[in-house]
Amino acid sequence: MTTVRHTTVSLLTCTPVDEQHPLRIAELAHAAGSRVEWVLELVEAGVIHPAAPEAPREQWTFHSEALQRAVNTRRLQRDFDVGVDAAALILDLQQEVRRLRALLGPHRTA
Amino acid sequence: MEFKDYYNALEIERTASEDEVRKAYRKLARKYHPDVSQEADAETRMRDINEAYDVLRDKDKRAAYDALAERVKSGRAYADGGAGAGGHGFQPPPGWDEGFEFERRGGGPADDADFSEFFSSLFGAAQRRQAHRSQAAAKGEDQHAAIEIDLHTAFQGGERELQLRALELDAQGQPNFVQRTLQVRIPAGVRPGQYIRLAGQGLPGSGGQPAGDLYLEVRIAPDARYRVEGHDLTMLLPVTPTEAALGAQVEVPLPNGDVVEVGIPAGSRHGRKLRLKERGFAGKTPGHLYLELQIALPPADSAEARAAYEALAQASRGFDPRRAMNNPTGARA
Repeated sequence: MTTVRHTTVSLLTCTPVDEQHPLRIAELAHAAGSRVEWVLELVEAGVIHPAAPEAPREQWTFHSEALQRAVNTRRLQRDFDVGVDAAALILDLQQEVRRLRALLGPHRTA
Repeated sequence: MEFKDYYNALEIERTASEDEVRKAYRKLARKYHPDVSQEADAETRMRDINEAYDVLRDKDKRAAYDALAERVKSGRAYADGGAGAGGHGFQPPPGWDEGFEFERRGGGPADDADFSEFFSSLFGAAQRRQAHRSQAAAKGEDQHAAIEIDLHTAFQGGERELQLRALELDAQGQPNFVQRTLQVRIPAGVRPGQYIRLAGQGLPGSGGQPAGDLYLEVRIAPDARYRVEGHDLTMLLPVTPTEAALGAQVEVPLPNGDVVEVGIPAGSRHGRKLRLKERGFAGKTPGHLYLELQIALPPADSAEARAAYEALAQASRGFDPRRAMNNPTGARA
């Protein structure tokens, strides 16, 4: 038989992942459930971009968009066994479809 | 909360092999992916398919699910309800849908943020939490969930309560549902697709290492006044024919609560877009706020108003709004 236990956590710290609070490369890897080498592979393939690519790798930082694309790539790789380049193409096409659909706005039929 | 039939969702038999599960998932994912599917319920179907696959592709989860399905069938599970629960299943708290905790394993599925309560209840932190205790020192895993907020909160910040459920095994190995209520303070100036990080709210670490973080992906609830397009916002701005023709200063409410005065240029047409630079979502490249002019006709419901319309018709006798219709060649010239 199952029971439900309730806990309440009051949060004071809640940080947006943005220009002021970017993720370091190890943090991005951890958040996407992977390793730093994999993140490097994504950068190499142009799937994601560090905020300042000219900086040394250990100083690279990433914003929310990179996290979103990294997490999506991970899923595509897991579910469809696609390579990084194919994943990048799929993500770009997906983004373009969504952009075009947003432009259609209210004219779009369901 | 309904018990979900994952085999049914993937249209497979209970005896399906790992390979059959994978093939079924891929076929259905292509069919129902919301970016390509024309089916009306594509989004819901895709969510169900993702959720089912996440469980059935994993041997441990599948075994746990099968065992639970067996218990449900024999009426031994879900006896405890909570307020208002009838039959079996407990009633999810209001506003539950946006917060789904999940355990990411084998690569973070972005869509997990959409998984059902059923999924999160079953396959939350529990098993991993147990496993971590016996492993070498390591920081806890990060977790992901989605949070839907209204535009006002995105611009001005605010507090929200998130309900997350997870299954934990007690000392006897019996499953218990743990419902966590997180009081989240949303900072001002967040944008769609942005992540909010809650340090230390992910899975516990092992060997004295800190817990992982919880990442909330921001989604903006549909708004009656503003339409969201990436980092830009569009608002329909009604103006009178006089304001459009002669130009005017009108007051426009901004999503951050401010009101600004905007100049409508003389000779504006219906549908004209005016841009309020960098008044959209904040960011490195801030979005803009577009005002799309909608000409609203004053009603001709008095002798005075009718006379004014007639005077306008007299004064603009040469104007034919259907000229292009009657003279297609001229329209192209």
